Amino acid sequence: MNILLELGLYFSLLSLLSVGGMPSVIGEMHRYVVESRGWISHNDFIEMFALGQAAPGPNVLISSLIGWKIAGVPGALVTLAAMCGPAGVLSFWVAGVWERLQGTAWRAVAQRAMAPMVVGLILSGGFVLATPGGAPDWRLWIIAAGSAWAMVATKLNPLWMLAAGAAAGATLL
Amino acid sequence: MPVTPPRNLTELFLGFLSIGARSFGGVMPWAHRVIVEERRWMSPEEFTATIGLCQFLPGPNVGNASIVLGRKWFGLKGSIVAFLGFFGLPFLWVLALASLYSEFALQPGVKSVVTGVAAAGAGLFIGTAIKLGKPIAGKPWALVVLMACFIAVGIGRVSMLIVIPAAAVISYLLAKRGLL
Repeated sequence: MNILLELGLYFSLLSLLSVGGMPSVIGEMHRYVVESRGWISHNDFIEMFALGQAAPGPNVLISSLIGWKIAGVPGALVTLAAMCGPAGVLSFWVAGVWERLQGTAWRAVAQRAMAPMVVGLILSGGFVLATPGGAPDWRLWIIAAGSAWAMVATKLNPLWMLAAGAAAGATLL
Repeated sequence: MPVTPPRNLTELFLGFLSIGARSFGGVMPWAHRVIVEERRWMSPEEFTATIGLCQFLPGPNVGNASIVLGRKWFGLKGSIVAFLGFFGLPFLWVLALASLYSEFALQPGVKSVVTGVAAAGAGLFIGTAIKLGKPIAGKPWALVVLMACFIAVGIGRVSMLIVIPAAAVISYLLAKRGLL
């Protein structure tokens, strides 16, 4: 299959699954493009993730960087459009419906059902990114644990955690 | 504090352009600042309700918010204009940055720095999960669902296309019985 077409279809599916945003699907994205299809290496994936996190802008742009790495500028456009499109159409449509459901029992149940799934998926994303190739590296885990702690315990702008990660990377790795 | 929605598509475009352009270290704080504080397009309560909906929907939160708000004020045209305004600049410079990076990637030391940033970024995800998880930590069944999703996707590397539908059904049934 044409690679742009496959990227478009796959990222469209991810778009509809990305409840909670990029963090929920990053583990799945890695599984597909690195482990299953082998389009890019784990290192490429990690580099694009780091750039996307550090650059200003929405973190969904990580997907366009991955698309760029796989298939150049067309890849970047296709993955961004696919990642935003289906979810965007859904939002457009649901925006009206959801307001009418305000305060109904069904909405409350759906919201409670979603919460633990989203948390479990985001945790998976963090774990996959900090554990290259499924082989634990304690130095990466320490950096990740430190920035997770800073995020929970302080009100620092996340850029400081990324900067600290850069410094720790230069020293430890 | 009186609120006035954007008067025309140009204003809408420029507002979302300035959110995208300045969003260092997270988009949400900037969206709040521009929409609620600087331009006073809507009240803080309305803003929170809109973001709440967008967090519930799949897709990038603020990207969805641009679509929902654009529609609210100008219909489909508004959605498209707000979306393009929001993504235009960040899309261009993230690609510029990546091209620049490729030039330097072979320099010794660059890889260590980037790997460190990525690990810290992974930590931010874990921190987000902990923050979001606090309100549900007291519910045993919620922890079961959470750990099951984590073990299946994070460790077992099972496809989300299988995990999500299964988890959604189980989770919904548990929530309906008041266990979540």
